[in-house]
Amino acid sequence: MTQEKPKPPEKPKAEAPPPPSPIAGFQLGALKPSAELKHGSPLVACRFDPSGKWIITASQDNALQRWSLADSKKTDMAGHSSWVRAMAFSTGGETLYSGGYDGTIIAWPLDAGQPEPIRQARAHDGWIRSMAFHGGKLLSGGNDGKVCLRNAATLAEERQWLAHDCHVYQVAFSPDGGKILSADHKGRVKVWEPDGKLVREFPIPGLHKYDTSFRADIGGVRSWSFSPDGPLVACAGITNVSNAFAGVGNPLIVIADWNAGKVVRELKPKEAFQGTMWGVAWNKAGFITGAAGGNGGMLWFWKPDQANEMFAHKLPENARDMSQSADGGKIAVAYQGGTVRVYPLAG
Amino acid sequence: MGVVRLCGSPEHAMSRRAVLGALGAGAFTGGALANPLAMQNKRVLMIFLAGGVSQLETWDPKPGAPTGGPFRAIPTSVPGTHVCELLPCTAGQIHRLALVRGINTAEDDHGKGSYIMHTGRRQEPSVNYPHLGSLVAKMVAAPENPLPGYLHVEPGGSGGSSSADAAFLGPKFGSVSISDGKPPANIDLPGTLTSGRDDMRHAMRRKADSRFLASRNTAETEAYTQTHEQARQMIAKKKLFDTANEPGKLGDSYGRHDFGRHCLLARRLLEGGAPFVKVTHTNYDTHHENFDFHIERMGEFDRTFATLIEDLHQRGMLSSTLVLVVSEFGRTPNINRNYGRDHWSKAWSIALGGQGVVGGAVVGKTNATGTAVVDRQVNAGHLFATYFRALGLDPAKKHYIDQRPIPMTDPAGSAIGEILA
Amino acid sequence: MITMMAPLIMALAPGMEPTRDPVARAIDKAISGANPAFAREASGPCDDLAFLRRVSLDLIGRTPTVAEARAFASAGGAKRADAVERLLSHPDFNWYWAQVLDTWWMERRPSKNVETSLWMAYLRESLEASKPVDILISEIVSADGVDPAQRGRARFLLDREMEPVLVTRDISRLFLGANLQCAQCHDHPRIEGYKQEHFHGLMAYLNRAYLFDDPKLKKKVIGEKADGDVTFQSVFDPKKVTKKRAPGLPGASERADPMVSKEQLYVSAPSKEVRGVPKYSRRLLLGEDLKGAGREALARNMANRLWAQLTGKGLIHPLDQIHPHNPASCETLMESLTSSVISAKFDLKAMLRGIALSEAYQRSSVGKPGIKGAEERFLAARLRPLSPEQMGYSMLVATGFDDAEAGAAPKALQAKREGAGKMFISALAPPAGNPDMFEPRLEQSLLMSNHPQVQSLLASRKGNLAFRLAAAKDAEAVAEELYLAMFCRLPDADEKADVAKALQGADKPTAIADLIWALISSAEFRFIS
Repeated sequence: MTQEKPKPPEKPKAEAPPPPSPIAGFQLGALKPSAELKHGSPLVACRFDPSGKWIITASQDNALQRWSLADSKKTDMAGHSSWVRAMAFSTGGETLYSGGYDGTIIAWPLDAGQPEPIRQARAHDGWIRSMAFHGGKLLSGGNDGKVCLRNAATLAEERQWLAHDCHVYQVAFSPDGGKILSADHKGRVKVWEPDGKLVREFPIPGLHKYDTSFRADIGGVRSWSFSPDGPLVACAGITNVSNAFAGVGNPLIVIADWNAGKVVRELKPKEAFQGTMWGVAWNKAGFITGAAGGNGGMLWFWKPDQANEMFAHKLPENARDMSQSADGGKIAVAYQGGTVRVYPLAG
Repeated sequence: MGVVRLCGSPEHAMSRRAVLGALGAGAFTGGALANPLAMQNKRVLMIFLAGGVSQLETWDPKPGAPTGGPFRAIPTSVPGTHVCELLPCTAGQIHRLALVRGINTAEDDHGKGSYIMHTGRRQEPSVNYPHLGSLVAKMVAAPENPLPGYLHVEPGGSGGSSSADAAFLGPKFGSVSISDGKPPANIDLPGTLTSGRDDMRHAMRRKADSRFLASRNTAETEAYTQTHEQARQMIAKKKLFDTANEPGKLGDSYGRHDFGRHCLLARRLLEGGAPFVKVTHTNYDTHHENFDFHIERMGEFDRTFATLIEDLHQRGMLSSTLVLVVSEFGRTPNINRNYGRDHWSKAWSIALGGQGVVGGAVVGKTNATGTAVVDRQVNAGHLFATYFRALGLDPAKKHYIDQRPIPMTDPAGSAIGEILA
Repeated sequence: MITMMAPLIMALAPGMEPTRDPVARAIDKAISGANPAFAREASGPCDDLAFLRRVSLDLIGRTPTVAEARAFASAGGAKRADAVERLLSHPDFNWYWAQVLDTWWMERRPSKNVETSLWMAYLRESLEASKPVDILISEIVSADGVDPAQRGRARFLLDREMEPVLVTRDISRLFLGANLQCAQCHDHPRIEGYKQEHFHGLMAYLNRAYLFDDPKLKKKVIGEKADGDVTFQSVFDPKKVTKKRAPGLPGASERADPMVSKEQLYVSAPSKEVRGVPKYSRRLLLGEDLKGAGREALARNMANRLWAQLTGKGLIHPLDQIHPHNPASCETLMESLTSSVISAKFDLKAMLRGIALSEAYQRSSVGKPGIKGAEERFLAARLRPLSPEQMGYSMLVATGFDDAEAGAAPKALQAKREGAGKMFISALAPPAGNPDMFEPRLEQSLLMSNHPQVQSLLASRKGNLAFRLAAAKDAEAVAEELYLAMFCRLPDADEKADVAKALQGADKPTAIADLIWALISSAEFRFIS
């Protein structure tokens, strides 16, 4: 037996320094998760709460999970009889509102040791896909084409109207709270007075197609996020669909001026990726993040005035949702494999 | 270089021409040719959910299971039987339908699965089998039936006839495509031709034929003169295609979309004397966004289908119409990364009802996650034997081609007695 | 041409013209010799005009014009033989028979790599040159598509993408009358004569050939490698013994490859840019072997196909099931026709002439009372449907399409007729890749009833039938012209009365259109009697 020569200690490989970030205070060229939180069932949604204490996920086993960002502790929250994709929080984050594919809204005391439903309302006939909170009002949109406005404290319905002739994919209060916005499966955006009067509507053609071979509509606004100053909204979805039923298409973000009712710019990945943009977030530091799932997972960072991204990151698996923390310093990505990963951006 | 195996091709062994030659020579024998059912007005409506409908989103929901997806199960008109919440209207008709939940066809290819569900057989190198529609056209239709025996209402489609579907039964029993619910090409008499004049010119044609054929009638001349009569009857029946004639409320109930119009047309065609109508609803091949697309598809299917069953019942036609809701296979219990479900033939379901079927029956069971059949597994051979029994036909009866006996249905599959009236 | 002379020894059926044609005489001798009661049971000849319609359809693909019918009716002498000669040298003969050979051999496949017009021109030129059919077939299987002047003949292989299994199947089916496709994977389970080695022996001629996309010619051509053997196992053999087969026709011995050193294998070695051309080509052997060892099989198949083409059914049926266990309906006739093909040196016209001049061909289609199976035993002519081409062109010619184009040169007229007939032919034709068969279908009748192009045939145009009928002096003249045009016969008294009645009932152009339509849609028009 010969003794192996001890190898000279390898020089630690100098990691290539991350490319300089064009956004001051943010390090977007490199991305490393600060937390990996694993649940047993595939995830469909994730949200940071406004206080930054928690991250809430929703999964294919009809449950919600509250994760403590401090110690990664998970608390299961059962109450829905279907999947949940819509979540909203009261201003301080005391109450979580979850809207399920069972058409039900549940209010949860978020900071309780074991949150139990404190109130629930049957809100829509069919899936609830989106909710928003502002000034004590809770807004929801569902597959019944309706937009509902209710008292957030009591969940009592105050107003509802048939807003779309197909599934409502997104609802939001305008950043100043003065208007209500909704968007649907066919990529149409509508702007409403709080009393349900239509102000304007406009299409986002890139985010919808009727697939003639499968005879089905494909598209819709899967996620949206307002510009920090309010007049623009970034809408995410799938475009260039050549086969709706195999999901052959590309992720796309469309920036629209909702006051003018027109499309301003399309943000596209430089390299073709097959999938859907499931999450978009407009950061107050002046960049837009998009997360996609399909043929794997991807994350991109754009400058809002440039069609192609500044940085692209391959994600370990299919992303299904993305959330940005209230301070803009972190994002969380919910994965099909059942994990939510938290990525710090500031640094 | 890849070798093309002719053995795998449908044209193998029994060419159309050889078979027709055999027919002409009288080699096709046996009582199967007789149409004992012709006078009883039995008929078949086959709804084909193309692409592979999900059994979990229809007849065999698994709410709460990891494979269950987001939909809940709802009670039906039969206590204890639940279906997916995407079928709220159909749930009210379950007492008129039987569910077969233990199907294993062991074929995940679209073309081959479709062949199995249309013929009751796996593809074989030695013989090409006829579609159920062709069998019904041959065995159930009255010879004087005014409409082609096998009509196929489909989105898109050729608008022509397909003799290949009839295999050895002969081209007369092939399918005639009713493309997008529109009548066959050239159905309208030329503008200048009144129907009175058309009657007259046909009377002259018939007189010429009777003179000529008095001394020379053959099967071929008969087939030729017969198509003229069929065409005339089709022209006379063209109003059947005008679904706009239906009362507004019923039309609304069927739905103002393609599938609604096509099912309404199917009912009109059946009422007008068609022995077999297939309606295709497309498409269910949801490898991506299975749940969203099933909401859309079932949103069309559910109300239309429930209306159709109710309408057939109200008209007294349901008890003599065998209704089948089939697909080429089911979909994977496993939900893939794109919210899709893929092809799954090992454990899936169909629904049937009407003529000869016990309403409210459920046969077969899958395991908790829906991945395997755990009770009363059946394949397409069983299904075809069941269809035959429901129609009062003997599944074991044989066709003879070149002295070779061919059982009408796969002898390996017996009828599912539990759902037969 | 056949030079052999036969003495006039047979008793002629009453009304038959005597003929010295050896092919015709051999046919009739074989048929009468096979049936002791022949003289009592056989129908007499069809009448002259029925013969003219029959033979015009068979040789030039259309019904006779009224002028041709009238001329024939008033002709004297050996007018049937004269008509056969006139039709064999008619400009439409080569035009039509090129289409017959095309439907036999290409089965209406769409053009893939070779323009159909080049292939049709090749067939027509071959017919004009009276090229023997064995040579024609040999050229077709040897073609490589490289020489632009000879591109047309390569369509058989190139439009089948030179796919060895498909080409093997079609060469055996179409040229040798043996459908060996079931013998690809095992000896045929029901036909003893079809062995797996037959299929693979035939494929061994072809499996080294390949479709080559020539970058210089910018065309697909056929290349060939110098190596590659055909091996096979039977799916029925539990031991899965692998057998090897060198080229050889079914029943003939194998052709061993010559011993060649590696350096000597190629004229040009195959590469991405260069078409492979071996010094020793197995594929080129096939053309030679078909004319040699395959001569008998080639002749039998040609005899059978021609008989089917002119009488409605092959002596051996189906046409691609020639094997010992599927005997001909009249073995002596099959033998006689096969040897006629060989002694006529595969001359198509000689064979067509012989069949057309035979009594069997000229018999009435009405059987004698009480005689069973008259058609099967050639005692009466078989009633047979017009092919899609015959029907399409006859619809045009009968309604006066040619008359309205009076003065047009034959080639121009043929092109016009082809253009106008296209829609009808495709509506009547089987799907591409299938042999012709009669399949009356609902949509064909709807087309006949209502399509504007059919309606246009019924409308008056200078010189056409409707035009002439409108100008006819009385109802009787209308009836005569109408029946001659549509059925190539004169109307009987009842028919004349019906025409007169129809003309009284409506305005003349309408009545004429309806009369023409009624007859063109009738079985008498759709069938050859």
